[in-house]
Amino acid sequence: MTHVNAVSLVILIGFFALVTAIGFGAVRWRQAESLMNLNEWGLGGRGFGTFVTWFLLGGDLFTAYTFIAVPALVYVSGALGFFAVSYTAMVFPIAFAFAPRLWSVAKAHNYVTPADFVRGRYGSRGLSVAVAVTGILATMPYVALQLVGIQAVLTVVGLGGSSSSAILRDLPLLVAFAVLAAYTFVSGIRAPALIAFVKDTLIYLMIIVAILYLPARLGGWSHIFSVASAHMATTSPATGKPVGSFITMPSGEWAYGTLALGSALALFMYPHAVTGVLAAKRRIVIRRNMAALPAYSLMLGLVALLGYMALASRAVTANVAANGKNAQLAVPFLFRDLFPSWFAGVGYSAIVIGALVPAAIMSIAAANLFTRNVYMEFIDPDATPAQQARIAQVASLFVKAGALVFVFALPRTFSINLQLLGGIWILQTFPAIVVGLYTRWFHRWALVIGWAVAMIYGTVEAYRVPVAGQPGSHFGGSTASVLGHTVYIAITALVINLVISVALTIAFRAAGVADGIDETMPSHYTADPTEAGLIGRLAQPARVK
Amino acid sequence: MKHVKPRDKSPLTWTAVTILLLSSVFAALWVPLYARSGPKLGAFPFFYWYQLLLVPVIAIASWLSYLMLRPSSRRQTPGAPAPDADEEELR
Repeated sequence: MTHVNAVSLVILIGFFALVTAIGFGAVRWRQAESLMNLNEWGLGGRGFGTFVTWFLLGGDLFTAYTFIAVPALVYVSGALGFFAVSYTAMVFPIAFAFAPRLWSVAKAHNYVTPADFVRGRYGSRGLSVAVAVTGILATMPYVALQLVGIQAVLTVVGLGGSSSSAILRDLPLLVAFAVLAAYTFVSGIRAPALIAFVKDTLIYLMIIVAILYLPARLGGWSHIFSVASAHMATTSPATGKPVGSFITMPSGEWAYGTLALGSALALFMYPHAVTGVLAAKRRIVIRRNMAALPAYSLMLGLVALLGYMALASRAVTANVAANGKNAQLAVPFLFRDLFPSWFAGVGYSAIVIGALVPAAIMSIAAANLFTRNVYMEFIDPDATPAQQARIAQVASLFVKAGALVFVFALPRTFSINLQLLGGIWILQTFPAIVVGLYTRWFHRWALVIGWAVAMIYGTVEAYRVPVAGQPGSHFGGSTASVLGHTVYIAITALVINLVISVALTIAFRAAGVADGIDETMPSHYTADPTEAGLIGRLAQPARVK
Repeated sequence: MKHVKPRDKSPLTWTAVTILLLSSVFAALWVPLYARSGPKLGAFPFFYWYQLLLVPVIAIASWLSYLMLRPSSRRQTPGAPAPDADEEELR
């Protein structure tokens, strides 16, 4: 199997120690009177300007999904993996439209989570808890994906992976995860916000060097593309069809487009993305960032091409094949086999830290959801700010434990499916959140029922997808055939969700079923208050029939 | 406390921003537009260079949208971002 390269390993451990020190030290950054309330622990006091927000959101949204899962899909399936480029190209113009409205209304009413907004907008505890539970559930496989990314690096470095004992094999991963959990617990969102600077410096350095250096070592771009093109046309012994496609075929266009659209609509529904948005200081910071964040999308596109570079190296393909054809190892092996060992260490560090930062923010955001919208709603409505922060700290540990369950329970052939599964769930909160930012037309119970049906449909459909070449297996993919087209299940479920919500809204209105009270006013969605909660105190909430 | 009214823009501005953002999304979403191998740019098939190039193009469209929607209530410095606001926000 793999031997341990001392130089790479020392550099990786050195960077890990550095970010750990930063993570614990972050508690002193922008020091507040007390960290023990959710505004500080969970949102950094809502004080981040354009520059910090750019690093925070970039560090938050571009994860092991970008560095491991996408190139792995390109490595195995070719053009299909590039849907992530289309997705990250369109996600920021979409968020440009609605994210400023979410920031404004959240600032005006001191909302910390998307479920807080839904509670205020619809006056519905049921809908609010549905949004909260969906957020927590969908975050877990996404955190799990970060673990799979870290594990891929550790395997290639030679830590774990080769031991016969299960505990020894996963020990380095568990240690890394426990350290992450500890500084998240102590410093809250300040830790990942500060570490994001290290992460992004390493990531941009790694990808610029890779794009300039690797093609020359692999015989040039023409050779890389011709190897990929030839490989994708070969016949797979498992399915009898070509292994992939080098240019998306007409039959694959629906899958490609719906995967991109579904992922783009889903991204800013995730609690960690909302957290990144709400932590901004001013409304204008959001729009400015939506114009500046595509720098990361371009980086993702270049990282995706690493999948083809890995395919063009005989050493890498041999190593991946020897390790159970685990495509997640393609990029780490590419670094190990083609970079000098010191720079391979830098590349590994970039990936590992690139997974730790989002894992921290995701668990903080899910913990905020649990505390505000489950614990305070149903268990202890009178919790003091300090008690809330304590509950969130503990909840962040449970979210990470939940992620471990996904790591060990689901097939890991394509780690990207972990993110796509989360996307199926989280997208079902789109009608309540995004449509709710524009109109209060939907009836609260219509949204609850539409959500419930779509959640069940999406989960069942995803469960029924077998792993390629293994009939009878489950959760093997995220697309299903609808009306003769292969479509991302999240999109089909969203359409069902919307149709039910519209039909039932009309029915409930006709029947005169009580709708909740809307505590927001139209001006709250465009306001740019510099003091949190100001509008909520100044204006009376509007009453809706 | 400053209150900025983002809605004090002309309908023309809002139409322009809507068109910019919608065409950005369409250019990425409409797969038949770029699911082809030629014309190549260097060694890159159309499918790949189109999408890689689309990202900075969309960034420029978003930046133009941001400039058009920038709050106009404070001191106007055409062509350059208001310095007082930036100093505060870049921290």
